[in-house]
Amino acid sequence: MARILVQLKLRLLGNALRASTGAKVAFLTSTVFAVLVAGGVFYLLAMLRGDGIAAADLTTVVFALFGVVWLLLPLLVFGLDSSLDPATLALYPLRIRQLAVGLLAASATGAWPAATLIGLLGATVGLARGALGVLIALVAVVLQVLFCITLARFVTTALAGLLRSRRGKDLAALAVIPIFAVYEGFIQIVPKLASEGALTASSFGGVDKWLRWTPPGLAVHAIWDASTGHAGTALLRLALLAGVIVVLGVAWIRSLGRSLVTTDTSTQSAVHGSALPFARFGLIGTVTARFWLYQRREPFALIYWGITAVVMVVVGIRAALTPDYLGGLLTSTAAGGLFVGNFHANAIGTSGPGFGLEATALDGRVGLRAYFSGQNIAVGAIAVPLLAAVSFGLAAVAKHPMSGFLGLAMGLAGLGAGLALANLFTVALPYPVEKRAGSPTPRPTSGHTGEAFGGFLLTLLGVGVAVTPVIAAVILTQSVPAAIRLPVLVPCAAAYGLALAWAGAWGAAAIAEQKLPELAQIAIQSTV
Amino acid sequence: MAAPAIGVNGLRKSFGKKEAVAGIDLEIAAGSLAGLVGPNGAGKTTSLSMMTGLLRPDGGRVLINGMDLWADPPAAKAIIGVVPAEPRLFERLSGEELLEYAGRLRAMPAAEARTRAEQLLTVLDLAGDARRLVADYSTGMRKKVMLGCALIHNPSVLFLDEPLEGVDPISADVIRRLLTRFAASGSTVLFSSHVMELVEQVCDHVSIIDRGRIVATGTTEEIRGGKTLQQAFIDLVGSRAKDEEVLSWLGSSSS
Repeated sequence: MARILVQLKLRLLGNALRASTGAKVAFLTSTVFAVLVAGGVFYLLAMLRGDGIAAADLTTVVFALFGVVWLLLPLLVFGLDSSLDPATLALYPLRIRQLAVGLLAASATGAWPAATLIGLLGATVGLARGALGVLIALVAVVLQVLFCITLARFVTTALAGLLRSRRGKDLAALAVIPIFAVYEGFIQIVPKLASEGALTASSFGGVDKWLRWTPPGLAVHAIWDASTGHAGTALLRLALLAGVIVVLGVAWIRSLGRSLVTTDTSTQSAVHGSALPFARFGLIGTVTARFWLYQRREPFALIYWGITAVVMVVVGIRAALTPDYLGGLLTSTAAGGLFVGNFHANAIGTSGPGFGLEATALDGRVGLRAYFSGQNIAVGAIAVPLLAAVSFGLAAVAKHPMSGFLGLAMGLAGLGAGLALANLFTVALPYPVEKRAGSPTPRPTSGHTGEAFGGFLLTLLGVGVAVTPVIAAVILTQSVPAAIRLPVLVPCAAAYGLALAWAGAWGAAAIAEQKLPELAQIAIQSTV
Repeated sequence: MAAPAIGVNGLRKSFGKKEAVAGIDLEIAAGSLAGLVGPNGAGKTTSLSMMTGLLRPDGGRVLINGMDLWADPPAAKAIIGVVPAEPRLFERLSGEELLEYAGRLRAMPAAEARTRAEQLLTVLDLAGDARRLVADYSTGMRKKVMLGCALIHNPSVLFLDEPLEGVDPISADVIRRLLTRFAASGSTVLFSSHVMELVEQVCDHVSIIDRGRIVATGTTEEIRGGKTLQQAFIDLVGSRAKDEEVLSWLGSSSS
């Protein structure tokens, strides 16, 4: 069985190379990335040689990081790897033990398990001393990889029913927001701290106090103990780690048995409230209600808002700590408007087949104006408080709280431009999207990436041009007292943004009226 | 003589070199419950999409109660209801919210839309699931809630694409009775299907489409010609059975 499932995994990997160009590129990118991670981690761990106990501390952090990634990644890519879901094999006459061995072997096959093994083997160079140290290091790394795989299997199988459900997929998709935030923080803040000498191997000293008792910590400290002449303690740590793996394995096999014959019932819950909010305010209110509910309930809408907030903070935070804070603050809120616009620049495509219902009911240009206006009101109702919160937050960090008003003025103008361009691109550059397994947000279907990319560039350009008058106003009124400057600047920017959004809705309605059947066909082709 | 509820003249559509609908003509009288039947890929969905304003035809006319659909789409759309084949709608609304939304899009007052939504959910046996998200509905429940969306504004002409596909017998019976009652009140129903038994049971008018062309149209009795509709359909469209002798191993108890 192990051989068959390994062959299945290899066949799936091979088929990825014969699939669409997009899938091929994704597969090759993942493989190249895995090779880089393997080489990079091996190099990093090997370079710690001579750092003493600090090397053990940092190695523990790296081993623990791999454990966390192996824990989280299968949750995000569930459905992408058919060999991960036991339900795909439930129809076949297999015994649980056969299935467990087969699934474990399939898990260990592929670029990422190999990258984990090769990368962590860097500890044999960086941490191990003497023949016994190297021998224990080899065993410890293998056990660590086995631990990662078993942990991932246990969690995936235990949650398989939930992950197949709508609610589970929603929750797993939202995990992308903290991951994106950590990633952005890592690439923006870690290099700065490291270059300033504020982040060295010794910075991880405190972390190891509790990490050493986790399974990755046991593996690393077994290597350290064996290398410093404490062979007995090293063997004891490895035995403890092996015990953890056995316990996890047993729990996994039990969970596997259950998952084959049970189903998830978490989708039986009901929504709160029966009435459609704002529906009494005519067609604009009705459409606002629909988009408002979607902003709260659709996972990719929440992801887009999360990403927008993270981008705004990351763009502004570094400058907020310097005397040139104002440039960062204005760029941050303008970026907020840009991202809000870009994420809604294909609203009909991302509405999917449901737009067919709207297309058969919307009554000409007036109805379509109401449709785009309602959409803008719902998005604006979230965007304005978000822009204000980030703007005043950054201004507070910069210790110039009144500057938050300037950031808000810029944000309101950027938001108006973003929404106007979103409305126009929704009808001028629409494209069908698809939800793919492993991707929390819908992507353009094959052959439509150009529209998405073009829309982003044009939104970037359009928002950049549209906020120029606000930048000019901020610069030209520097010498005017804040008590006069701000009460004029903020309402003017808000009116300007409102006018842009209104013009966008009108223009989009005029275009949509001429091509409603074509827009409906694009929406129907989408799978969201 | 009154204009037919649905009049189609020379309707055609091509996708690249493939001619999906090759100039069809249809006339469905008001109060009729008509079926459009055909094998997979015959052009049923394409035809219905063009008749409901969701797909622009390459040529031809569609008249709804005498109004040219493609000359004034909003006016014609105001009096039709549509249930598409694909049971996907706004998945993140509850059934109740979705029906109310459909009513409000049709400019119904909020209170009336809410009342009708509740009544339709009760008749469609969805009252107990009214506050669950459509994303969590089964296929049959989705078909029923879509039917509710199409009926909430009381259209005079209803189009349905494969309304009973994937629907359990109890739900199918609910839908069937609702359609029969709707047509008996003087409204018109045109639905596509490849379930001959259903069409034979409920339809008074049948059109058979194959390879984008109407190959027969008339009352159900005329089309049947004394046979079952299934047999009449196969005689008209032609059997496409393949040589099954190669499966000689199939059916033996040994592997």
